[in-house]
Amino acid sequence: MSDSPTVLCAQPDTDERAETADALTDAGLAVEEVGSVDSLEVALDRSIDCVVTAFDFEDGDGFDVVDAVREVYPDCVVILYTEHAPSDLPRGSPEQVVEYVPQTVPESRERLADIAAMAAAEVTQAAYPVPDTETERLAAVREYDVEQLEAADTFDRLTALMTSHFDIDVAFVGLMDEHEERFLACEGANWRTLSREDSICTHTILSTETMVVEDTHEDPRFAEVDELDRLDIRSYAGVRITDKDGNAIGAVCCTNGEPRRYTRAELDDLRRFADEVEEQLRLRRRLQRGT
Amino acid sequence: MAQRRDDRYAFDGLPLNPVEPGTNLLVTGPVLNGARELGLRLLCSADADGGTVLISTDSGATAILEDFEGCGGVLDRERVRVVDCAQEGGDLPEDSVSAVSTPADLTGIGIEYSGHYESTYASGYTRVRTGIITLTPLLVYSDDVRTVYRFLNTITGRIGSADGLGVCVLDPNAHEEQVVESVAQFFDGRVDVRADAGDLELRVKGLRDQSAEWTPVGART
Repeated sequence: MSDSPTVLCAQPDTDERAETADALTDAGLAVEEVGSVDSLEVALDRSIDCVVTAFDFEDGDGFDVVDAVREVYPDCVVILYTEHAPSDLPRGSPEQVVEYVPQTVPESRERLADIAAMAAAEVTQAAYPVPDTETERLAAVREYDVEQLEAADTFDRLTALMTSHFDIDVAFVGLMDEHEERFLACEGANWRTLSREDSICTHTILSTETMVVEDTHEDPRFAEVDELDRLDIRSYAGVRITDKDGNAIGAVCCTNGEPRRYTRAELDDLRRFADEVEEQLRLRRRLQRGT
Repeated sequence: MAQRRDDRYAFDGLPLNPVEPGTNLLVTGPVLNGARELGLRLLCSADADGGTVLISTDSGATAILEDFEGCGGVLDRERVRVVDCAQEGGDLPEDSVSAVSTPADLTGIGIEYSGHYESTYASGYTRVRTGIITLTPLLVYSDDVRTVYRFLNTITGRIGSADGLGVCVLDPNAHEEQVVESVAQFFDGRVDVRADAGDLELRVKGLRDQSAEWTPVGART
């Protein structure tokens, strides 16, 4: 199994694709090759870090590739590699933002390979802000395998206590994985995961401050997030939880189906609940490791 | 052109220390009263291998190039390129200028920007300064702020990984505070600008070796 970042290279012409794949391989990337949009969709069942695509295919175009990739990997960098000038391309929708390398610049394949290598290692095209220390943060999240820590019952009790204490619809403890928030305990709803671009906790983990959204419809960050309406989240309060090094691994939160304000005392209590969750996680991890 | 002493990006005539390659700066303040001018001054390069790509959302290419020159920029079509998102019809003045019909077309802006970046790079100007002047129309024209987040991740990601310099101007009074704070997350540092009795001052947050106190900005010499 290679440790190199994996690039999916989609070009219809076999010879051109082979040349591009060679350039990408020379840049230290593991390359998977496909020749059509259909075959790309099949190849997306494998883990990939970046996609390089032509624009013209017999069964679609580069924006179809973007849509297919974003469906599976919403944060993945897609690089359009084409001889078309920007002005010759059809207009894409705003969510189809891509990288672009024109084949018309000198040594374009080498340039493409440089950009793909950098993108696969360092760049995201996520539709949300990402912490500066995302790599360290994700490593910290992986340290807290909650099933092994056997903390679920404790968190179930805490979130049940929160819903009655705050008189709210839902209380939850969530861990923020690479692409989605994973709910460890959720009182009042049966939520398992929520994509990061739809989750308010995506913003909560960025700040040491308590995050309060009194009315999602009045907050420009969330007013257009349909998934929040579907989950009946109209108001929110959340506190991030961190590991001992300060990496934000998740959040402890309250939501309600109606707009709601929180008093200073309530926010202090929410922080105490979060401190309790944080302490439980750290303690159980220490017990698991025997340190 | 000046011989630079190290790889950091320097700002001649401004009270800012050089910043590391790959740095993205958010310049915040009243656009018509200092922030736009400071943003353009940050984009002027004295390096022999320095280029500039401007994403102009609040004025047409001709106007922003005039303003850029007025702020000390050297107009050379090989090294200064513009994505004009505010064009009001008419022919484009140069090959080094391209137009996107609306600030809402973030995909088009991103592709045009990448194309200009590559052309600048291919011409030997490998230290590229990128300016978004200003971010406000992109936020105003986008129905969903998440599309702007994706755009910013893409642009700042390229600048960061290609060791460029990014400068994005934003008037914080034009947006909700929560939006400004979330946008600031995409940048390594924030340069606040204010005009005190007509004299510009700046302060820097988030970067080491910079003044966090309000500091007078000398007039361009």
